[in-house]
Amino acid sequence: MSAAMNPLSRDQLRALMGHVLAAQGKTLADDDAADLREIGFRSLDFSELALRVEDEIDAELNFEAAGLREIKTVGDVLDLLEEIQAS
Amino acid sequence: MSSSTGTPRGLHNEVVDAGTGTTTTWDALPTVRYPDPAVVLVDSSFEALPFVVAHSRTDGELLIVAGSRMEPALSAELIEAGFTIVHGGDRLEPPAQARRGGEPDRLWLLTSGSTGRPKRIGHTLETLTTVTTDQAPRRWLCPYSPGTYAWWQLVTLGLALPGQDLVVVDPADVEHWVEAGVTHEVSAASGTPTFWRQTIMQSGDRLRDVPLAQVTLGGEPVDQSIIDQLVELFPTARVSWIYASSELGASIVVHDGEAGFPIAWLDNPAPDRPSLSVDGDELVIASPHHGKGLGGPVRTGDRVVVEDGRVLITGRLDSDEINVGGAKVSAGQVRDVLQSHPDVAWASVRGRKAPMVGSMVVAQVVAATGADDAASLPVRLTQWCRERLPEYGVPRMIRVRDEIPTKETLKSDV
Repeated sequence: MSAAMNPLSRDQLRALMGHVLAAQGKTLADDDAADLREIGFRSLDFSELALRVEDEIDAELNFEAAGLREIKTVGDVLDLLEEIQAS
Repeated sequence: MSSSTGTPRGLHNEVVDAGTGTTTTWDALPTVRYPDPAVVLVDSSFEALPFVVAHSRTDGELLIVAGSRMEPALSAELIEAGFTIVHGGDRLEPPAQARRGGEPDRLWLLTSGSTGRPKRIGHTLETLTTVTTDQAPRRWLCPYSPGTYAWWQLVTLGLALPGQDLVVVDPADVEHWVEAGVTHEVSAASGTPTFWRQTIMQSGDRLRDVPLAQVTLGGEPVDQSIIDQLVELFPTARVSWIYASSELGASIVVHDGEAGFPIAWLDNPAPDRPSLSVDGDELVIASPHHGKGLGGPVRTGDRVVVEDGRVLITGRLDSDEINVGGAKVSAGQVRDVLQSHPDVAWASVRGRKAPMVGSMVVAQVVAATGADDAASLPVRLTQWCRERLPEYGVPRMIRVRDEIPTKETLKSDV
């Protein structure tokens, strides 16, 4: 990502994640430790969230830079997106 | 129609320039001459018509194209191929080593170049004249860019058949065609689905005042919702759709008011008619109206699906199939679902690269005139799609645009 771009804050990422879930009739838990399976956050939701982040920061996210990892909780999603924006 | 096929029978038909109101007949158009071979650049559709008459009389090799389509690289390529380029009073001659005599009867068309540089397709007036039997008298609107296949279809109809008048409108002025249609009593009009959607949006009920007895669609996938809207606007008109291309000519013509064509038309060859088949999910056509060097079955690059006994053309193979996490989605089918919503005037659907699933379905729409609360349209469309498509086919992002984006070809510009 270009250094000129303004990355979204963790709160902004969380708000976007809540928006994606709300559009699917689901609710985002307040707790970062909340299990993604329990709140119904699936691969399509994650992909949509990533595209919405790209649109907000006007840059393509490079997921390869983050390497392979397990994403099980809300916090994992927010960590990953924060990290990729910074890379 | 040329010296090899006789004098055109429609020379006494009227031709009207919608921009200026000039009305004349083919045989009263100014006499022009052009070098052989020539590329003639025109700044209006009407300006091109005398060159068509000149070709029918002299057989000289000719390519007509709108000046706005010419680019330096294309110009250089045509000069190297031996053409003299004529634009008004200006002439650009080929270098001595490239000069050659013209090929008798040859007409060239440039493909739209959507996949890269424009390509020349060889035809003759005879191969461009699809309709050869007398028809009910009509006054046709010709809104296409001069020199395109669709333009030639209407021009050859007007030149070849008595009773087929032409009202030509330039693509740049096309948004004003409805008033010209009323003034000049246009009774038949041909355009892309995007053209018709734009016209309905911009003209509303005024469109009903054009006395259309024939409405024709082509150049893009034709969905049921646009056919239904046109049938509602013109209940006594025949609404037809045509599948045609520069390479294959007019190959499918459907008049029954339904999208797609009957499956019984596949693998059912008949003399002098195009032969239709499907290989995998690609439409394959062998056409008697094909361009030079394209005889036999030709892979069209267009994707089809069969539904309820109809073969539906959904879009280009290279862009229609969206792979969402291993599940295949037809962009054309999603587009048709969106366009079937009463508050949608136009929609475009594509795959967008996305993590985890490879691609996601995303859409752009334009709200219909008078649509309820455009701000809530994406939410309502998402629900509409959920009720009609599998989950992976539902667009996750829907952008509302203000206007239908169109190109000079009258096709959607996305």
